[in-house]
Amino acid sequence: MKEFKLAQPQNLAQVTSLPSDQRYFLMAGGTDLLDEIKNEIIDPGVVVDLKSIPDLAYIRSTDEKIRIGAMTRVSELAENSTIKTNYPVLHEAALSLATPQLQNVGTVGGNLCQRPRCWYYRDPQVECRKKGGSRCYAARGRNRYHAILGGGICHIVYPSDLAPALISLDAEATIATANGDRTVPLEEFYTLPRVDVRKENILKANEILKEVKIPPSKNEGKSTYVKLKERGTWDFALVSAAVCGIVSGNTFKDIKIVLGGVAPIPWRLEKAENLLKGNPVTDDVVKQAAKEALSDARPLKENAYKQDLAAIAVSRAVLSLV
Amino acid sequence: MAKKDHWENTQDPHLLYTEAARSEGLTTQDAPSTKEKPEFNIIGRDTLRIDGHKIVTGKAPFLNDIRLRGMLVGKTLRSPHPHAEIVSIDLSKAKSLPGVKAVIGLDREKAQYIGNRVAAVAAVDEQTAEKALKLIEVEYKPLPYVVSVEKSMEEGAPRVHDKKPNVEKIRDEKRGDVELGFKEADVVLERTYKTAIEIHHPAETHGSIAKWEGDRLIVWDSTQAIHNVRDGLARSLGIPAGRVTVIKRYMGAGFGSKLGLNAHTVIAAMLAKQTGRPVKITLTRKENSLCVGNRPTSLQTYKGGVKKDGTLTALSLTNYTTGGVNRGDRCSEPLLDVYRCPNLHVKEYTVYTNMGGSRATRAPGHVQGTFGLEGFLDELANEIGLDPLELREMNYTTKNRGDTGVPYSSKGLDKCYELGAEKIGWHRRNKTPGAGQGSTRRGLGMSSQIWWGAGVPGTLADVKLYPDGSVDVICGTQDIGCGTRTHMAVVAADTLGLQPKDITIKLGNSDYPWAPISGGSLTTPSVAPAVRDASLKAADHLKEMAAKKLKVSGEDISLQDKKLVDKNNPENAISFKELARDLRRETVFHGERKGMPDGFAYNTFGAHFVEVEVETETGQIKVLKVVAAHDSGQIINTKTAESQVIGGVTQGVSTALFEQRTVDDTTGTLVNPNWRDYKIATSMDIPEIIPIFVDVDDPHINILGTKGLGEPPRIPIAAAIGNAVYNAIGVHIRETPMTPDKVLQALRQKEAI
Ligand SMILES: Cc1cc2nc3c(=O)[nH]c(=O)nc-3n(C[C@H](O)[C@H](O)[C@H](O)COP(=O)(O)OP(=O)(O)OC[C@H]3O[C@@H](n4cnc5c(N)ncnc54)[C@H](O)[C@@H]3O)c2cc1C
Ligand code: SF4
Repeated sequence: MKEFKLAQPQNLAQVTSLPSDQRYFLMAGGTDLLDEIKNEIIDPGVVVDLKSIPDLAYIRSTDEKIRIGAMTRVSELAENSTIKTNYPVLHEAALSLATPQLQNVGTVGGNLCQRPRCWYYRDPQVECRKKGGSRCYAARGRNRYHAILGGGICHIVYPSDLAPALISLDAEATIATANGDRTVPLEEFYTLPRVDVRKENILKANEILKEVKIPPSKNEGKSTYVKLKERGTWDFALVSAAVCGIVSGNTFKDIKIVLGGVAPIPWRLEKAENLLKGNPVTDDVVKQAAKEALSDARPLKENAYKQDLAAIAVSRAVLSLV
Repeated sequence: MAKKDHWENTQDPHLLYTEAARSEGLTTQDAPSTKEKPEFNIIGRDTLRIDGHKIVTGKAPFLNDIRLRGMLVGKTLRSPHPHAEIVSIDLSKAKSLPGVKAVIGLDREKAQYIGNRVAAVAAVDEQTAEKALKLIEVEYKPLPYVVSVEKSMEEGAPRVHDKKPNVEKIRDEKRGDVELGFKEADVVLERTYKTAIEIHHPAETHGSIAKWEGDRLIVWDSTQAIHNVRDGLARSLGIPAGRVTVIKRYMGAGFGSKLGLNAHTVIAAMLAKQTGRPVKITLTRKENSLCVGNRPTSLQTYKGGVKKDGTLTALSLTNYTTGGVNRGDRCSEPLLDVYRCPNLHVKEYTVYTNMGGSRATRAPGHVQGTFGLEGFLDELANEIGLDPLELREMNYTTKNRGDTGVPYSSKGLDKCYELGAEKIGWHRRNKTPGAGQGSTRRGLGMSSQIWWGAGVPGTLADVKLYPDGSVDVICGTQDIGCGTRTHMAVVAADTLGLQPKDITIKLGNSDYPWAPISGGSLTTPSVAPAVRDASLKAADHLKEMAAKKLKVSGEDISLQDKKLVDKNNPENAISFKELARDLRRETVFHGERKGMPDGFAYNTFGAHFVEVEVETETGQIKVLKVVAAHDSGQIINTKTAESQVIGGVTQGVSTALFEQRTVDDTTGTLVNPNWRDYKIATSMDIPEIIPIFVDVDDPHINILGTKGLGEPPRIPIAAAIGNAVYNAIGVHIRETPMTPDKVLQALRQKEAI
């Protein structure tokens, strides 16, 4: 472990005004960051502890929107009754992630900004593209947990369970910057490796994810999260499907499908959405749509099974809503 | 200075383990008498662990809890290359870092795998030690390497060892004539089974503390073998064994990876000598993954012939196994022994690679061999349309080496079949594998198990009586987490008419009377009879003393309820405590675990029955229920015996479904040296487990008729799960771990046929 300095700012402005050439890392719950520091994946220089900033942990309803502060713990999200009732997809995603211990310590912001779990990236001795090297070791190496979509130069999967759930709910991200806050759809928060292989999102050097906002839930709105994993708990998704839709009878007036565990970003399955929208949903229709939508997948040597699993996760989630 | 060759047990660790487990060549005439089984009061019942409260409340001291005054922290520098010549090592920068107290180069010319030790430091704290490691300058000349089994077997592959080829035959054994046997068969089948490398991953990683007191060395070690560590240290350091004391207090398991002297223990002793201060070295989880052992792979091809009625006519096995730089495991022992089969041919090869070496892993070879053999038997049974359990019963034998050897001293496998099948409801199985409908399928499967586990003659234990009525039981064994303290207390208390909590247990110190390693299912059948022997001697002595007081003969006295009682007149009694006063000084009784008569094979047996649910869409396997029936002779304490079974099954479920060391063949790196990516079962994955102990008397094995239980519950579980999956979906997953990708692929292949 490299030595580092700990900064305990009192407000966000103190963080956004840090000189952009200074090397520092934000720490929320620390469940991911400390792992990176201890394993010497990063040399943190300065660790900025967000816990010292007041009022970043909250779940509030305003303008009928739900606003979730970045420092809200995952367990608080899982226990919140409004979310449980109105946004089952988010509730289920929160409960499915990691373990109760990690849910108690990990935060929403940390979960949405966590770094990838690619085992080459997490090996201090490997300098792959994501760490500034010239190769992707996963491409021809061990890749049973890697991406089947959107890979190209780096085949990580984005590990967050909350991200697909929130995106399926049309959530927005509020980002604190030196020039005040800006808001983007959460879907646009994540970026593919080809944009900048060293990053997973649009945050710039001294920007912070401050909160996420979810639009009001609609009356006929239904949602669910299906996560397929190897073990019963303490496991990232092999694949997951967050589905949110407006259902009437057995037809979706509107539907949004976002996959986790298959791509470097939460993966929107628009093709399947279009095939399903307005059509009566039956077992065969859904399976066909999922299969067709996933035909773009480009599996690596060891992860073709994820293509099957993704189709199943989508079908299960969609069918459970009608 | 330490002699390099003796740094780790130079003896083959597998041999060490299995030879001890077999207890061969130790038989004597001094056999236990075959007189009637004694009546027990506490033995064979439920006794809570005497140290359970201490352990679960965090009061029991594990290695990391031991802090000595002035203690330094030791760390090891390890090779980042799978194969490299060490051209030079410059320690000077590390030495000059403030806080660093000693730096040593480990006098090695070559690194043979990633994680091979190169140098070591001792410093005032962990951070300084880590910094110092980075300041050691090593010039490596990378050499060609090979980490995949397939590549290692190719002609012209880089040599792993200078003095031996990459592929070596480790067994070639025949009986009868297999070709003839295949001709006699109605059905001949050939199938290949594969098992992954499993890492022991004890909850407590390896560690040692070394402290010198003048010319005496005291070592606290997380070990399954205090006496072996003591002897190994004495040899390595060139000092008399009597000047070394090895202490092991509480331990978070070992599973075979802590059976001998470890290099880090010698290093700690050397650093302690140099600095004149105690030195502690504990390995990280990553070091634990890389360099202190693993269970070798297997690639087992079976060919078997069977008649329509289920009679086995011939079996052959060719196995390739890799244990990295160490030898792989022989997997054919169950095949050679447990079923009647006149014609047999076994060929096994080890394949060396530039990976961390294997060590004995809970039932080495048997776990892999049972997965192959028992899976293959189910496939044979299916070919002839026979109930797989009937196939096993059809080829049952009471003599070892497949009915060609000597009788087993006892064999309750038939009872295990009977009780296990009844408990799981064996009749519910699909008569044809995969007969069910829908995407969620259930199935039942079973597997037999054989292991050694007779214990080691010559094990010693003392019972010490004090005039105040207190009692010590002293034995140089170690409790590695299995409940040895409790079983020792149970045996002594039962024999002396006391309660387990009245007994003070002293173990885990190599100055105490000799006991073998805790591995190979040896501990209970070695230690319990020795404690019984010493306790009986103490009881006899007390009876004679009481007889004089109570004016009856010693034979008329019984020890019960903390009293010595005249059997013919219960009123005529004296309390244990009162009588002890007459001892006047402490009195020691020496007990020994005696030998076993020749002419028998001494083995443990068991059968697991498993129910699973398989989702054919996702390839996910859920184990619903496990019935684990075992013949381990007289059970000393059902509570800890059940825990042992639950632990073995849990570990077996974990390796059947999840665990696999994953290596990048190109770079030679281990990609999952942590508990995030090396997946171990969680409590959510563990089914209902029902242990059953069949009541089988073994008059030959030892005075208690007890056999080991350490490995047995670990052996058949993966095979039984595989067979249950086969029964559920009609395709056999012939490779562990049985992860969703493999299940889906197998189902797809079935569809394609
Ligand atoms: C063993 C294990 C299993 C897990 N399994 C799952 C799983 O199944 N599903 C899942 O979704 N997650 C899983 N996780 C991830 C876990 O949920 C995350 O570790 C946690 O959510 C991160 O939260 P944290 O608050 O501790 O983040 P930290 O560790 O503090 O931060 C994580 C990263 O985000 C950055 N960051 C944190 N907050 C902000 C912010 N407000 N703005 C900008 N950047 C920020 C940090 O700089 C850091 O790089 C697992 C983690 C572990 C260790
Ligand atoms: S997938 Fe990305 S993180 Fe992993 S090895 Fe390739 S470049 Fe590195």
